[in-house]
Amino acid sequence: MTLRITRFTLLILCFALQPFSIGLAAGEKLMVALLPKSKGNAYFLSCKAGAEKAARELGINLLFDGPVDSNAAKQNEIVENWITLGVDAIAVAAENKEGISTALRKARKQGIQVITYDADALADARSFFVNQATPQGIAHALMDEAARLCQGTGEFAIISASLTAANQREWQKHIELRLAEKYPSMKLVAVRPCDDLKDKAQSEATALMSAHPNLKLLMAICSPGVPGAAEAVKQAGKVGRIKVIGLGLPNENRRYVKEGVTESVILWNTEDLGYLTVQAAVALAEGKLKVGMKRFVAGKLGEFSIEGDNILLGKPFLFNKDNIDRFDF
Amino acid sequence: MKTPDAAGIAPKQMPTPHRASAFWKSVLFRHETLLLAVLIVEWWFFYTYGTTTNRRGVVVGFGTWDRQFDILRHSCEIGLLALALTPIILTGGIDLSVGSLLGLCAVVFGHLSQAAGLSLPVATLLTLGLGALAGGLNAGLITGFRLPPLIVTLGTYSLFRGLAEALTRGAVTYTDFSPSFLFFGQERWLGLPVQAWMFLGVAVMIWFLVHSTTAGRSFRVIGFSPEGARFAGIASNRQLGLVYVLAGIIAALAAMIYTARLGQAKADAGTGYELFAITAVVLGGTSIFGGKGSVTGTLLGVAAIAVLKNGLATLPSVIRMNAAEEMAGLLTGCLLIFVLTATTLSGSVLARVRRWTLRARQTGASLP
Repeated sequence: MTLRITRFTLLILCFALQPFSIGLAAGEKLMVALLPKSKGNAYFLSCKAGAEKAARELGINLLFDGPVDSNAAKQNEIVENWITLGVDAIAVAAENKEGISTALRKARKQGIQVITYDADALADARSFFVNQATPQGIAHALMDEAARLCQGTGEFAIISASLTAANQREWQKHIELRLAEKYPSMKLVAVRPCDDLKDKAQSEATALMSAHPNLKLLMAICSPGVPGAAEAVKQAGKVGRIKVIGLGLPNENRRYVKEGVTESVILWNTEDLGYLTVQAAVALAEGKLKVGMKRFVAGKLGEFSIEGDNILLGKPFLFNKDNIDRFDF
Repeated sequence: MKTPDAAGIAPKQMPTPHRASAFWKSVLFRHETLLLAVLIVEWWFFYTYGTTTNRRGVVVGFGTWDRQFDILRHSCEIGLLALALTPIILTGGIDLSVGSLLGLCAVVFGHLSQAAGLSLPVATLLTLGLGALAGGLNAGLITGFRLPPLIVTLGTYSLFRGLAEALTRGAVTYTDFSPSFLFFGQERWLGLPVQAWMFLGVAVMIWFLVHSTTAGRSFRVIGFSPEGARFAGIASNRQLGLVYVLAGIIAALAAMIYTARLGQAKADAGTGYELFAITAVVLGGTSIFGGKGSVTGTLLGVAAIAVLKNGLATLPSVIRMNAAEEMAGLLTGCLLIFVLTATTLSGSVLARVRRWTLRARQTGASLP
């Protein structure tokens, strides 16, 4: 009786232990883990789409997991989970710079390659940062687009988040430099803050339009500012006469872009960001990407330049009437 | 008066030889035994299906020491809160504010040790003091004004979190802690993660308090019958004060461990932890109405949830779906319902068996 039970137990154990060998690491595929700030966010889902494309082309296993909410503690736990799962490379969009860095350093100590994208960690916690946009790149794209829409002459105004925020001032500085350098017959008549509020942007835009009757274009350099300015132009009945452009997300501006109020929304191509990130992570794990290199060839997207330890995604992307429906974030 | 908790007070009476079978029966049908079985099954399952070798030939996944230490490290804070809540729930009370207090203590500790530039021991003492003060506020409102603990701590739940957010304006994050402080959350000491030792210390202390002191016995009496406790001459207010202040201090300790583990203190620290902790306590067999429960049960409850949560993230199928967190929530719920139903059912089955044997014995005895 006892013997029979023992034999039966052994048999069960054999069956149970069978999948032991066919775990995740089936085959010799490289495993790359991609961590978003929060996994339900459409912005990161769009990154994921690009990442999956790269994973298919490279024939690797891609893990994509993140907190349901933007939670720094959970990000750390997920990274620690990946460390003990023995992944080959981890790519992280940091919710909190210092917090995540402790976990990333631990990963590097175990021989896992670490890069960041979208939001950087501390420099010693990763090899490279896939930088989606430099202040200069964004400023030039905005100014060039403004000049194109105004045929190089006329008055325009800027709506910013606040006059003190570091990134806003940085962008504004580069916009003014570009203006002075390339578009002498254009004139920046005012810069107004909207405190990152759509309502305030709308009232500021209304005030700007009445104060400057020759205004040809409104440029919003914070995301709530773009739909705010568009609403003001629409309500003033000046659609077409005063053009709106700005830095923002496609979903917030889709309606105005389709109605022709907003000419173009500038951001980066999030799919390309995901694609480049995975390409870089794999190249790093395979030893093809090294610190000190000046260029990196990322599959179908071609060549990207590297500045120090930043891989630059390059030119910002223009969302307009023709392409905005391809994006959902 | 009925004995509030046979399980908690009885272990001291050694079973006499002829009662040995009854003793084993009571052990076998204990809630803790079932939980231990669940824990072993979980562990065995994840060890079997969650362990693998990666392409460099290194064993990775659940069956590694690093993983086991991660489980310890990740469950310390919620485990501490669950330990703090066990005596409170035994008295028939509840403390919803522990998670928020963790957040408040974390940012206050961050401020004291960073912005105010205090030394580590001083900042630690002040933070523990703040925890005691906050616990004292709960206790004062509950005993002084005879307000229901649920209402009081629901109030302080918002109050503490609000304070934490106000102090940091929701934006300041304290980082750059010294390595000597981070040691408590990220390093090992004598083989185990440092915070595991602290957790162990608190667990022993709470176990001792609940199971071997008159105070601990009075918690159960208060939970079982507040009126009865008064008639029995128990200083209920003092005992209640003790459990809430203790909870505050433990929440402050958890806050510092959390800060040391992540290397950052932010106002959102510990959001939702109170519910995880309550789940662990209830899973551990402590009655939410008070009067019945054990610290061992709470420890097993914490372990069962922690192993489930961590183990799920090692299963290939779960990883492929990228749904570890969601699955963990879902299965924790199922586990809680399963374990509590099983205990209740086994209890009623046991009672029926007892009735039958008793009847059989009686009829047997009445035979000529």
